[in-house]
Parts: sequence; structure tokens; C-alpha cells
Amino acid sequence: MPAMSAALTSTRYPVDDLTQAIELCYEKGWTDGLPVIPPTESRVGAMLDAAGLEPGAQVAFITNRQVAVTAEKVAINAVMAGCLPEYMPIVVAAVDGIAEPKWGYHGPGTSTGGAAVLMIVNGPIAARLGFNSGDNLFGPGWRANATVGRAVRLVMRNVIGTLPGRLDRATVGHPGKYTYVIAENEVDSPWAPLHAERGFTPEQSTVTVMSAEGPRQFYNQLSNTPEGILATLCDDMVHHNSTGAQPQYVVVLAGEHMRTIAAAGWSKADIRKYVFDHTQNSLAHIKRTQRLAGPVKPEDETTLRSLVAGPEDILVVAAGGRAGAFSCYIPGWGGGRRSSESVTKLIRDRRA
Amino acid sequence: MAGFEILDPTVEPRKQPLTYVPRPGSLKGKRIGLVENTKFNSDRLLQKIGDILKTEYGAAETKMWRKHNSSVPAHDEIIDEAKRGVDVVVAGIGD
Repeated sequence: MPAMSAALTSTRYPVDDLTQAIELCYEKGWTDGLPVIPPTESRVGAMLDAAGLEPGAQVAFITNRQVAVTAEKVAINAVMAGCLPEYMPIVVAAVDGIAEPKWGYHGPGTSTGGAAVLMIVNGPIAARLGFNSGDNLFGPGWRANATVGRAVRLVMRNVIGTLPGRLDRATVGHPGKYTYVIAENEVDSPWAPLHAERGFTPEQSTVTVMSAEGPRQFYNQLSNTPEGILATLCDDMVHHNSTGAQPQYVVVLAGEHMRTIAAAGWSKADIRKYVFDHTQNSLAHIKRTQRLAGPVKPEDETTLRSLVAGPEDILVVAAGGRAGAFSCYIPGWGGGRRSSESVTKLIRDRRA
Repeated sequence: MAGFEILDPTVEPRKQPLTYVPRPGSLKGKRIGLVENTKFNSDRLLQKIGDILKTEYGAAETKMWRKHNSSVPAHDEIIDEAKRGVDVVVAGIGD
């Protein structure tokens, strides 16, 4: 019996067997629609031990809901999601991240805009725990990617009260709300990893959380220059412009595109600048396409509005399969960066 | 497999006392705050309501604030100014 389990305070429900336990979780409304691992005392204790957290430790406080998220509740939901105990520090860091005031939980958690929590894992922990950063990047098949994101969503549901149809009023939502976790391909990438650009050392491990729509894939097998590949990307991105509220965007560059762009000597900063410069919409276009009210004035033809507030709001990540002329971009939640900004959190090892 | 126990993953929200300010018996001479949430026409709708409150109910004046975004709470400046400068606040969605 783990040392910390005696202090667990959650209500206990007796069950006869595994099937009854799984069905009880459905009946209680505790799942995302898929079966869960029954959260027993020993499994929850192992999760807490791996994170070096006491059950009552506060992991996060969600201000608008006035909910304190304790380590015990995070651990229970991580067990249910299918996490291995060693994933727990990542789940904790991600939950801490979405509770940051600048992430603005209330907006993306509740909005009809239907955001999920995109999580990008950086640093040595990604390879050590088997996070996928390559083929089938957003697809199924990797336990770490599948269960860490699922655990965060279960915490949102069960602890914070973000229930679909009630406090979560997403109009269409997207499949990333089940899980939405990738790692950066730091082994093959020629560039500084995301977390190193955001104030951490490459040896540290972090998770970046961003409120985000689904990934949008683009194709370019024709060009062998950065400008050619990014021209295709920008042509897709510029027409996205969902609410016009200037969210952040993630640009995920996969193997072939990554190598072509890097071979020309371009840095992530060069990519950000190019994308910023080439995703400007004219006010006239925004009005003609009924995204902004009012008649089109002559000066609207030459008045430009940028997709994001500045180049730094484009997060460039090297990830995806080695083969194939596909990459993607991910728009942030339509409320805009001023209402929800991405947060990068250190994944801490609290074990003594 | 022998029986066992599973742990509840949910929490009950912390109970908080919520007290409403008593509603004024009349709007006569009252200062009306209008909190606009940035959705199309919410400003026009609220202004119209404000005008009705003045012409038909005798309110003294209206003042409008604009939130940063429809999905976020009114920011601190709005709350601070509303506390100091108005007697009644009207907020609403305009779509």
C-alpha cells in the first residue's frame, strides 16, 4: 500500500468487479465516452508517489469557478485516463498552465468557439516517456500522447465542471478535446526547441498549453525553397481569420518541409517573420467576406490587418513524419490572444 | 475478482454566499451603466434600452463600457468605474 494513500479523502464506491467499476463511472458521468481505468486507492497512490505530491496539495486554482484542484483529484483522473504514474508530473504541469490567469480558463473552457487544450511537450522527458513527435503526429497509437491529454480533459470535466452542454458550450468542438498532445522532434530539428525560445534551457522539460482549434493540413510537394512552402501555408492561413480577434497560431513543420526550410538557413524567427508578413488581410476583403460590418470604402483596399498581433504569436514547432509534403497550422481559440495566451510550464520532479 | 473500491474523481464547488444588491424601487434619477460585450449590435441594443430607461422610466443618464471580448468577464476598470459612477448596470448579448 503506497505511503500516501491513507490520506486520500475522496468518496469511495464499492464495486463487485472490473465491469461494474467501469459501468459505474459511466453512470456517474465521469468519463469522456470511452471506458476508464477504475481509480483504486493503490493506483491513485502510485500516481501521487511518482509525482512526489501529497494528496491535499493544491495543483491549481480556477478563479472563475472558485475550484481548488488538488493532487488527489488530478491523480484519480490520470488513473482513469490510463496514464502511467510517471506521466503525472506532466498532467500536473498542464493543469497548472491552464489555471494561469493569462490562459483565461473561463473563455476557452466555456466558449461556443470550441477550443481544446493543445499540449506541446519539450525536453528530455518527451523521448524518455515515449511521446510521439513523428509519424501520425496527431493520430492514435501512443499511450503518453493519448492519456496525458485525456487526463487533463477529465480534470476539466470532473473537477472544474467543464461539462459538455452545460458549462462547455462549444458549438462544434473538435476531436482534440479527447486528447491533443504532441512532442517536438528535437532530435531531427535544426532549430531551437519551443521551450528554449520561451526562456527554458534545452535540458529542462516543459509542457506548453494553448487553447486551440483543430489542426489544418497543407500540401506543398512542388517547391524546394522556404518562400515556396510558406507561400502555400500563408495562403491557407490568411483565409482562416476566424473571428478576427488575433489569436496565437502554431505552425507545425514536418520532416520534408523542415529540412527544405532549414537547408536554406532559415531560423524559426525567419519563419515567423515571413508568415506574419504574408498573412495580412485587407479590410476590404474582411468586409466583403462578411467578417466585419460596414460598406467597403476605397481606402479599405490598402488598409491591412494582420492575422496575429505580432510575429511572436506564431509558435513554430518541428514535428510530424519524416516523409510527405504535408505540414499544418493550428489556430488558437477565436477569443484571441488578449483573452487566452499560451503558457509554458516546467515539468517538475518533486520527489525527494 | 474480489470486490474493491473506486474513488470519486469529482469535487463539489465550494459553497459561496451570493448576495444581490437590493433592486431600486424606481429608476427615476438613477445613473445607468451599460456593459457591451463586443458582439455585433450589442452596443445598439443596449443604447436603445438605455434610452427607454431614460425616456419612459426617468433614469438620469447612461454610460457604456466595452468588454475586451464576449467570452471574458468585465475587466477591473469596468467594475471599478461602475461601482463609483452608476446605480444600476445592464449587460446583455447582442446577437
